[in-house]
Amino acid sequence: MHPALSVIIFTTFSGMGYGLFIWLCANILMGERLTQDQIIYGTGFSFVLVTIGLLSSTIHLGHPERAWRAFSQWRTSWLSREGIMAILTYGPMVIIGGNQFLNLGLNALIPIMAVLGILGSIVTVFTTSMIYASLKAIPAWHNNWVKIGYQIFALSSGGVAYIMIAGWQHYMVVVTLLILALAVKIMTWAHIDKHRGQYKREDALGLPDFGKARPFEPAHQGQNYLQREMGYELCPKRRAMMRWLALGCGFILPAVLLYIGLPVAILITLICLGGMMAERWLFFAEAEHVVRLYYDKDTV
Amino acid sequence: MTCLPEKTDKKLGLLIDLNICVGCHACAVNCKEWNTSGITGPMEDLKPYGDDPSGVWYNRIHSYEFKKEGETDRAVYFPKSCLHCDDAPCVTVCPTGASLKRSEDGIVLVNPDVCIGCKLCSWACPYGAREYDTTAGVMQKCTLCVDKIYDESIPEERRVPSCVSTCPAGARHFGDFADPNSNVSQLAAEGDARDLFPEMETKPVNQYLAPEKREQKENKKLTEKVTSVKDALTKWAMLDFTG
Repeated sequence: MHPALSVIIFTTFSGMGYGLFIWLCANILMGERLTQDQIIYGTGFSFVLVTIGLLSSTIHLGHPERAWRAFSQWRTSWLSREGIMAILTYGPMVIIGGNQFLNLGLNALIPIMAVLGILGSIVTVFTTSMIYASLKAIPAWHNNWVKIGYQIFALSSGGVAYIMIAGWQHYMVVVTLLILALAVKIMTWAHIDKHRGQYKREDALGLPDFGKARPFEPAHQGQNYLQREMGYELCPKRRAMMRWLALGCGFILPAVLLYIGLPVAILITLICLGGMMAERWLFFAEAEHVVRLYYDKDTV
Repeated sequence: MTCLPEKTDKKLGLLIDLNICVGCHACAVNCKEWNTSGITGPMEDLKPYGDDPSGVWYNRIHSYEFKKEGETDRAVYFPKSCLHCDDAPCVTVCPTGASLKRSEDGIVLVNPDVCIGCKLCSWACPYGAREYDTTAGVMQKCTLCVDKIYDESIPEERRVPSCVSTCPAGARHFGDFADPNSNVSQLAAEGDARDLFPEMETKPVNQYLAPEKREQKENKKLTEKVTSVKDALTKWAMLDFTG
């Protein structure tokens, strides 16, 4: 799949935003003594990350002015559900942040809002993962690792951002999460590498009993939409480089820097976000769509 | 609504005979001709006279060479357009309701006034039946010439999709797969009808008649020859000069 920057920013930024908000809500519930500034910056930064993500996702639309229509088909569409959950989750975020910022005196409501914030964030990230995991035509996405991955990457990258906002008291939990996230990513790659090639061109043609099929002339002179959108070919060398970059910046470097306690939390957060963007770039670039069987691929 | 109808009254679709298709691309050309000036047109054409022409087509003709041990290679021309699936994944993923499957005849359509151009439906389709129109900012696809097949101002026998009416070889048939007595159901039952990519569980309505098996064909020819020689000899022996 073509790795479009708008969609990469969508899931990495909103993932970190929801992860950070989950951390903040959990700490509020656990009675952590957070200063007013920490809550304002925490909710504010979550809000900004999530909003950048959501706005970015509308950039690649053909008709962004019609985006509101996407809230209507929640009964079948994971994309629609994602939009609705994202809007609903703004509720607790704005109330918790606004309460501190404007001194609204809603302190009694805050624990409930924190619970709703955690649930809303988890469900929103889940619906995001299901947009991809529900697509049978893209085997690299159509598996449980994608669902697990989106949750844990949101928590690990959000945890790094939480340290930047609220201090180092939980840094070992974040380090543990980063290591867990690293393991999930490696398992995901192992899964998709193992299952690559499960569909053959002859299956796609409905003619598995006629021997081996090979296209002998192109169906059209130039490239079409399908080839531009779904025909991205990743060479093995570049894949290896990007996988190391994703692991290094997304998980290993942040974990090491946190463990040795280098007081550069902003820098660690930026490294982590960059690593997650490399990871998400690969998520698209590595995913082969079965439509390629009609074109250049013998197997997908 | 993007909920799929539980059952459609009709299942309008195409039966494509891969024995007969000669890969002339006439169906694709006539499809473009009709639809670019029809309800879904104009269909985008970028750099049509340049080095790298590109545009939206609802129908694409692929060409494959099949190699099998012990057989001579065979060419199969493979026209591919929307299969109007019963379990159409392109419909259920649509966030706006622009993508729909009609309960009356099973045709899958895109409402261009509601489509936001998110392209998710084209990701969900395993067949590459949908192409994005960058000029209009909406998704495009085969309509089964819905503006032709119901048009009462044209003679009834011509109310078939453009790809069917133009096919010079008679490789394309149009009809109702829900009716067991329809032309397409009968042809499918008589021949070796196939679903494209059954592994994707989309239950396509369109069917493809597989090329005839080589072994079967050879045997049939041989037996045909033997019987015709036998018949001729019998006739001569009987001094029968009729027929």
